[in-house]
Amino acid sequence: MRRYVVKRLLMMVGILLGVLIITFALSRLLPGSPIEMMLGHRPTQEQIDLAREEFGLDKPIPVQFINYVSSAVQGDFGISLRTHRPVLEDLLGRMAATFELTTLAVILVVIVGIPLGILSAVRQNTLEDHITRTFSIAGMALPMFLVGMVLQMTFYGWLHWLPLQGRMNVEVLLDYPFEKYTGIYLIDTLVTGQWQAFKSAASHLVLPVLTLALASLSVVIRMTRNTMVEVLNEDYIRTARAYGLSRRLIYYRYALKATLIPMMTVVGLTYGFLLGGSVVVEFIFDWPGLGGYVVGAITQNDFPAVMGVTLFLATIYLGVNLIVDLLYFVVDPRLRAS
Amino acid sequence: MRHFKTLTKSVTATFLVIVASMLFASSAVQAASKTFTYAMYGDVKDWDPASAFSLEVMMLANVYEPLVWYNPPGSKEQFTPALASSWSVSDDGLTWTFKLRKNVKFHDGEAFDAKAAKGALDRTISMKKGAYYIWSSVESITAVDSYTLVIKTKTPQPLDLVASSQYGAYIYSPKAAEKGADWFNQGNAAGTGPYKVRQWDKAQQVVLEKNADYWGGWTDSNFDRVILKVVTENSTQLQMLKAGEAQYISLVPADMVESVNQESKLSAYAVPSWKNSQFLINTQKAPTDNKKFRQALTHLWDYDTVVKDIYAGYAEVARGPVPATMWGHNSAIKAPSFDLNKAKQLLIESGVTPSEWNVSMAYIGTSEAYKNSALLFQENARQAGVTVELLPGTWSNIWDKAKNLETAPNLQSMTWWPTYATPNDWLIGLFRTEKKALFNLSHYSNPEFDKVLNKGVELEGSNRKKAIQLYGEAQQILMDDAVAIFYADIKRRVARDSGIKGLQANPAYDAVFFHKLSR
Repeated sequence: MRRYVVKRLLMMVGILLGVLIITFALSRLLPGSPIEMMLGHRPTQEQIDLAREEFGLDKPIPVQFINYVSSAVQGDFGISLRTHRPVLEDLLGRMAATFELTTLAVILVVIVGIPLGILSAVRQNTLEDHITRTFSIAGMALPMFLVGMVLQMTFYGWLHWLPLQGRMNVEVLLDYPFEKYTGIYLIDTLVTGQWQAFKSAASHLVLPVLTLALASLSVVIRMTRNTMVEVLNEDYIRTARAYGLSRRLIYYRYALKATLIPMMTVVGLTYGFLLGGSVVVEFIFDWPGLGGYVVGAITQNDFPAVMGVTLFLATIYLGVNLIVDLLYFVVDPRLRAS
Repeated sequence: MRHFKTLTKSVTATFLVIVASMLFASSAVQAASKTFTYAMYGDVKDWDPASAFSLEVMMLANVYEPLVWYNPPGSKEQFTPALASSWSVSDDGLTWTFKLRKNVKFHDGEAFDAKAAKGALDRTISMKKGAYYIWSSVESITAVDSYTLVIKTKTPQPLDLVASSQYGAYIYSPKAAEKGADWFNQGNAAGTGPYKVRQWDKAQQVVLEKNADYWGGWTDSNFDRVILKVVTENSTQLQMLKAGEAQYISLVPADMVESVNQESKLSAYAVPSWKNSQFLINTQKAPTDNKKFRQALTHLWDYDTVVKDIYAGYAEVARGPVPATMWGHNSAIKAPSFDLNKAKQLLIESGVTPSEWNVSMAYIGTSEAYKNSALLFQENARQAGVTVELLPGTWSNIWDKAKNLETAPNLQSMTWWPTYATPNDWLIGLFRTEKKALFNLSHYSNPEFDKVLNKGVELEGSNRKKAIQLYGEAQQILMDDAVAIFYADIKRRVARDSGIKGLQANPAYDAVFFHKLSR
């Protein structure tokens, strides 16, 4: 087990280095210089030359790469050309917002998607199955930005039930201040006992979480259904039925267990997908997370930020998948034995 | 049946979670009546008043003050005293004396005086960031006594205009200056303005609250709190305005103006700005290095259609390089008209062989206005026998190529606006000879034009009337040399709560002065 973990960690390092090389090459090879963009709408030639020197852009590209890598391994991802702050500081400041959004979306996907997938599998070709499958196809077909905007127009514009954008009502933020221990507003407001702030944070999460979750829900429903259908056709399930065991026992104890490994893979991949998908949702809902940061970084060729975010997200994605792979050992005793 | 119950339970559980959060949630925001919310399309990135050079002006112009404010065109006086209560210039135009306002404090409690003003300006100039170059002719700044600041320049300069700039001219606390850019960029500020920074939630909002000790005083009807909310999508901004969550928005698409005006409590309209758009014509690259060829191109542009249809009426047809709303604009300029026959005649007169009637045209690809204008021009040019190759791209890319003669196109899109209220910003920035092209993307170099322009700049501070005459001549030279297709003086669209009073459009500032507003 230890050897497996070490091997995976070494692989992670290799993958991250590859990601770094590709991102660095792309950002340097793309035409246009972001330095002039960051200096305002009328930089002087002197300012451009000074800025290029300050950011090391006057050096040869291989030297720039070596300097970047040696700084990055020490946790220094450089200074953002847009915010003028250390990229790592920017990322850490925004990470909690994205984590809160993405994690809640994954939880929603799991608690709704898996039961619906099971239902669809055990009631194949019935009305429930058709409804569920139609819903899942619609979820995959509808673009995320469209879903988000429709939800905004319905629940904010028409019904006035939910807020339009942002993380919390400004007045509540000012009148009910709370210590940001984790940056996750739901937790911080609960810990500090600010109930008004908690309510505001919760209501602001509903639409973005729904938008983000709907896209992946369909995938989880379909995967659960397909895996479950396969398992339900296994001999041991037929034997269990022949013994007269209850359906509840068969489905939830025997069959579901067998689907756990592929489902965990899907959930892990979903988490990674949602991290990427959160870019669109964060843009629509002005959610101050990594997604909005990435959009600004890419459109203005803020390459320290682009590279920092790419490495950051790649590390998280690889880490999540490593955790999922390790959980296989927990879930499946056969793997532990081997 | 049991499974249908499971499905029902799942769906019900989800629905209940959503309903619970709505029931317990705060209702849709109704801003307190003493709070004004402005929806901005981006966050404040640079908090240092010495170097900030972008949308930060919305915050800067309310938290800090310069020595003087520039009034909207058409005002009785050109300036309003700010931190300087009066000023004068010597006969030779080289020495400016500012008498400073007394009994003013910075937000951090430090007293405002000549030493503080000198410190702020010295720091801004020495940092060499942002718009520091507006002070490039300054030779010395002296605090003669506590409330007298004397600025000497190497050549005569319009320091009253420079000191009213929306960038690079703010006075900030000496204590803050000592702490440096890092302190500012944590969201701190220490100006003398009517509002101070209460809180900055990164990428969410900046909250300003009233500076109770503001020297300009307060009335009951002023707003105590201003929220600069970051709202990147224009449809979201519009929804907030309609719901009363925002009182002013900054991104108003032309096709939304009518729908906003249908709401009884809202108002959307256009205000003049000092932005204008043109396609710079490369004077060094064939075939546009030929003057008659360039003149022909200026007659292939359908000015009225572009302004009326592509800009939906939110622009005026330009008459020259300087917008008509800017002082110093030469109103006698006869702008070229859209005339295919005249264009064909000029093309023949140019002597360029028809097989070489090929030009390239670069513009910002994400701009619908540029794209549609370019397509229209391409079609008109085709009818005259000129082939136009369209080269859309990001500003960063096309600017990079345009600066270098080898990769530069024949036509380059450019939208320009001044750093402070002077016509020479266009004339110097876009057309004065440059050793290495930065924004002179016509690659234009005319010693006669440079001479007239430089003389005008020298006289702008001391003899404005003569300067206007010289600037007029310079503009005519540019028209005669057909250095660009000047096609649109842009109008800015705004949308707001129509119950808000005190809003006054001033093209000198991309900001709203919240202290002047009331409900």
